[in-house]
Amino acid sequence: MISIHALKNFPNLVTAVAVKNMKMKYKNSALGFVWSLLHPLAYLIIFTIVFSNAFPDIERYSLFALIGLMFWTYFNNTINQMMLSIINNASVLKTIAIPKLLFPFSALAAELFTFLLSFIPFFGLMIFFGLNFSSELLLLIPAVIIFSVFSFGAGLFLCTLNVFFRDIGLLWNTLSPAIFYFTPIAYSSKMIPEKYHLIITLNPLYHYIEFMRIILYQNAVPGIQMWLITIGMALCAALIGLLVYHKLKKNFVSFY
Amino acid sequence: MQSTVIKIENLYVDFYIQNQRINSFKDLIMSFGMVSPFEKKKILKGVSLDIKKGECFALMGKNGSGKSTLLRTLAGIITPSSGAIKVEGRIAPMLSIGAGIELELSGYDNIKLIATLMGMNSKEIKETTTFVEQFSELSKADLNMQVKRYSAGMTARLGFSISVAKTPDILIVDEALSVGDIGFQEKCAHRINEIKKSGCSIIYVSHSLVELKRICTHGACLVDGKIALTGPIDEVAAYYESLFH
Repeated sequence: MISIHALKNFPNLVTAVAVKNMKMKYKNSALGFVWSLLHPLAYLIIFTIVFSNAFPDIERYSLFALIGLMFWTYFNNTINQMMLSIINNASVLKTIAIPKLLFPFSALAAELFTFLLSFIPFFGLMIFFGLNFSSELLLLIPAVIIFSVFSFGAGLFLCTLNVFFRDIGLLWNTLSPAIFYFTPIAYSSKMIPEKYHLIITLNPLYHYIEFMRIILYQNAVPGIQMWLITIGMALCAALIGLLVYHKLKKNFVSFY
Repeated sequence: MQSTVIKIENLYVDFYIQNQRINSFKDLIMSFGMVSPFEKKKILKGVSLDIKKGECFALMGKNGSGKSTLLRTLAGIITPSSGAIKVEGRIAPMLSIGAGIELELSGYDNIKLIATLMGMNSKEIKETTTFVEQFSELSKADLNMQVKRYSAGMTARLGFSISVAKTPDILIVDEALSVGDIGFQEKCAHRINEIKKSGCSIIYVSHSLVELKRICTHGACLVDGKIALTGPIDEVAAYYESLFH
């Protein structure tokens, strides 16, 4: 029984919960938001020291790795926050009639905001690492939207299943470092032997990271095929996530 | 003849709960799909009720008889498996005091957050804040403090004040009055009376028969997910007491 009023009010609700999420995330920490920069930066330093000598073929290695790290961090944080969003707010969902989708959606909104904010210092860093300015950089706006839709779908899917089986959260914690190294973040996909290429292309993140690099690193316009793949995957993920969520949401209440 | 504000017809609510034998993926895989991971548990089995405008209705029943499930279904939190619910007006559910309060946030932040979640606009949130400042007797310094530093009574004062700030059409109270010290309890009872006088219908769950008899005129007793008796409060209270003897 969700009224029209509740739907109209949805943006206000998302803002309120997203702001709360951000306050809670950095509660009692002296550095607060800076932590969301330090995490990818720490990896960047390690990668630059370890890999830039190992992969001398990659020009402007720090820029190359930073692009991958930024989008990976955004994706990983979004999944982590979305996955816990419903079970962490069980007490609210048990007492107030609000659309449950509010919580995963707000988790995404908070992470997207943090990501956009982190773009400001990272943009400076990218210029320092040799980013070239060109009009193609504007394509980043649709690229981030497409990637967010994909993250939302994947996050909602995992979030829904996590209500019933907490194994999903534990499984993600185990798998995410593996996925991190399986995705060409620290290295270039060109280094992977031809025979493994099919496996690599099965990883959706591979396509998104490549997509971002074409725009930010090569200053080029991604080909039509890249657009179709990334948009297609984003829509599929969102559709699957929403379908699974809608099918199972009425049974949530006894599992909080 | 008073008009009906809530009409419940033949309401069934089922929960899916984890099959006791299946608690993880391992168990699921080990069972080779022979055992369903979930089983159905019937909570409400054909509940029908009419609640009139301005009526104060008591809901009694042993622990686990389905009282809270019925209230949650009325509040739109649980989707019924079958049956119909017709509600006229805005329901304010007070299902548990302090739900949704974030311990890390300040009292003021919590008022804003919970009021927003309850669907209030910015003007209503301001009114709620003023109301809570007066009603809860918490000082501005208290309200600026993180709720984790509150005593249990202070947290309850905050929670209760937020939920009764706006006068609803229908108020659902689930054992909420036993909060705070004696002074605050009296204040709460007084506020409930005020809400009642404004013409609002109240559905009241409590195990204190004295309290129920003082506030309510009619009631119903739930036994094992079914309404066993509906009628004037004294009759239902007597029946409820007889369940334990």
